[in-house]
Amino acid sequence: MEAMSRNPAHASLRLRRLFRWRPHQQWEAYLFILPSVLGFSVFVFAALIASLGISLTDWGLVGPKAFVGLDNYRSLLRDPVFALALGNTAFYVVTIVPLQLILGLLLALALNQGLRGRETFRMIYFLPVVTTLVAGAIVFRLLLGSNGPLADAVSAVGRLIGQPLSLPDLLGSTRYSKWAVVLLTLWKNTGFTLVVYLAALQGVPQELYDAAHVDGATSWQRLRHVTVPLISPTTFFLFILQTIGAFQLFAEPFVLTRGGPAQSSLSIVQHIYDSAFRFALMGKASAIAWFLFFFIFGFTLLQNYFQRRWVHYETE
Amino acid sequence: MSLRNRSAHSALLAVALAAAACSPAATPAPTSQAPTAEATQGAVTLTWAFWGSPEEAASHRLVADAFTKEHPDIKIETWNEPWDNYFTKIQALWASGDPKAVPDVAFLWPTPKYAAEGVLENLDPYIQKSGYNLNDYWGGLLESAKYNGSVYGLPRDIEVNVLYYNKTLFDKAGVAYPNDNWTWDDLLAAAEKLTVKDASGKVTQYALAVEGGKFAKWVNQNGGGILDDYVNPSKCRLADPESIAGVKFFADLMNNGYAIRDADLSQAGGDEAVFLSGQAAMIIQNTSRVSAFNKANLNYDVALVPIPKGGKRWNPAGGAAWVISAQSDNKDAAWTFLSWLQSKDGGEKIYTERGEIFPALQSAANSPAFLTDQPPANKQAIVTEAGASGVGGFGYFPDWDELNGTIISPVLQKIWTGEADPQQVLPELCQNVDQFLKDKGYPKK
Repeated sequence: MEAMSRNPAHASLRLRRLFRWRPHQQWEAYLFILPSVLGFSVFVFAALIASLGISLTDWGLVGPKAFVGLDNYRSLLRDPVFALALGNTAFYVVTIVPLQLILGLLLALALNQGLRGRETFRMIYFLPVVTTLVAGAIVFRLLLGSNGPLADAVSAVGRLIGQPLSLPDLLGSTRYSKWAVVLLTLWKNTGFTLVVYLAALQGVPQELYDAAHVDGATSWQRLRHVTVPLISPTTFFLFILQTIGAFQLFAEPFVLTRGGPAQSSLSIVQHIYDSAFRFALMGKASAIAWFLFFFIFGFTLLQNYFQRRWVHYETE
Repeated sequence: MSLRNRSAHSALLAVALAAAACSPAATPAPTSQAPTAEATQGAVTLTWAFWGSPEEAASHRLVADAFTKEHPDIKIETWNEPWDNYFTKIQALWASGDPKAVPDVAFLWPTPKYAAEGVLENLDPYIQKSGYNLNDYWGGLLESAKYNGSVYGLPRDIEVNVLYYNKTLFDKAGVAYPNDNWTWDDLLAAAEKLTVKDASGKVTQYALAVEGGKFAKWVNQNGGGILDDYVNPSKCRLADPESIAGVKFFADLMNNGYAIRDADLSQAGGDEAVFLSGQAAMIIQNTSRVSAFNKANLNYDVALVPIPKGGKRWNPAGGAAWVISAQSDNKDAAWTFLSWLQSKDGGEKIYTERGEIFPALQSAANSPAFLTDQPPANKQAIVTEAGASGVGGFGYFPDWDELNGTIISPVLQKIWTGEADPQQVLPELCQNVDQFLKDKGYPKK
């Protein structure tokens, strides 16, 4: 194969083979992906292209469109709510992503010890992932509320130890509302991180641990120099996925706090939603969506560039 | 999964998620029957759109039946969605531009925004031709359905905010029931006695529960305001001393523990829930709570909302309105239906009798349909507050939602949490409001 691909004639033949339209051989395959392709074209691709056009107009969803060029993008620079939502979203990214990775890894390491009832624990941690977010958020709202059971428990503990203790108003104050959202997101998503990490941990060859052991490595050193490098491709995958997810956080703050109080937990995607469907500013909403796209795209490229510094593939 | 598609589509995702978030399983069954072949020669079929709970939808259908009985030549098909989805869906119908799909008559709010988009029929010519009486509406109410001076919708009801009080809790605290002469000072004195705290200082019973969004009542009672003109504004008035004092009165009620904080109120399930459970002795709310309180056999009554010394009564004039779509192909029949809905013996009577609304028409409010022997006993308080209706609660211009949602209400929310002092933040808020108005080209000529 090596020799073949170096030969230009062979290479171009291979390319042509790869891209040749061979309906007599593959029509079943195309048929299988047709529903997905159709759905994607209409509901994703067409809408995507349309949103680019809409971002250049002033449109209230029901009235006529007026072309305004790049005004919507320029107006973002002067929109204080946009800046605020961007700041909140940055907060979500820098808190949720690392916390979720660390928590997920720690739980996976614990479950990987082969303790009894591992399956039960795994199920318990994974349960939130398959729970409806809205239901979860409503329970969180009841739990964390200033008159909720958590607040009652904290003040009960305070009475026991004779100190006035009280839970900060997590949902009702602008200082803590973002943390409430972080808490909900961690509860919801850490199970996924855990399961992916668990699979990765089980793929680390035992010989390497044995070798390290023979060399006198402590358990911390084994973790630091064997486990962490070997599961770094998984970390990279989760890191990218979670960063994008955190940038696009919407349902969690939307259901838990409605972005409040006083926009303190408003995420950038909820700002898109509000602009489009509360204030009927479709052009502005599309412009923010495209801004977010380029922002995440650039961020992901950067991550991809820096991965060579810390991601180790076994084949290398 | 391709990152490109994922990230660029946050907007669509947002919609999908929002839809998922807003409609927990209860996707409404489409209630409109499939268009049947028209039975009678020359019969017209109108599509009628509204939002509401199953109980409300049942009232609407009762109204449609009563109308068809009087006008056999006009058939009514209904289209309904819960409040959360209604506006998105009806906007999508309009955006589709298909006159067959667009409802002929719809329930809508806020009317000026849609009128500005050109999707609503100007009702002035119909009103003139038929001699429909606009003077029967409560003061200022029609402003909420006007655009550029023309009427684009007829409000079905008016939001009349009154003070509900729990008689049992008042008796227990030994406080006299509110009367027509109560001032803010009387309210404070009663609140002091009606607030119950446990040993650790936590409030277990609030004297009062009022949504933060109702702050305009205090401001206007005190002679303040939000804007200098609610149709074509040029200046913010929230930094006027009277306005600041009104906001401060409300904020102090919360800061002193007399009134439940706005964010806590919504977590606790809203004023209806805390009033029913006895967590709050008084609430200020519109008449929509009456049926729930009656159903629960609560020992309550309503009263006028106390005013400051030297202040005036004030009630926000606003209510969702019936409109006719500009794309309708049966506009005359639609007007026949609309004007019947908004007549004392037509739709207004049925909705009022069923306890759905406080009627937009003064004649309907002063009729037996409203003055029943059902609680609350003090119906006169509701009629008196309605008579004090005027502009001042919100803007009647298309950009109001955005102005309020992005600039005004976030600052007020910060005041309701106790983190901001009205004296300090309202002047800056007003500068931002003025800048917004300037950027949007207000005042318009």
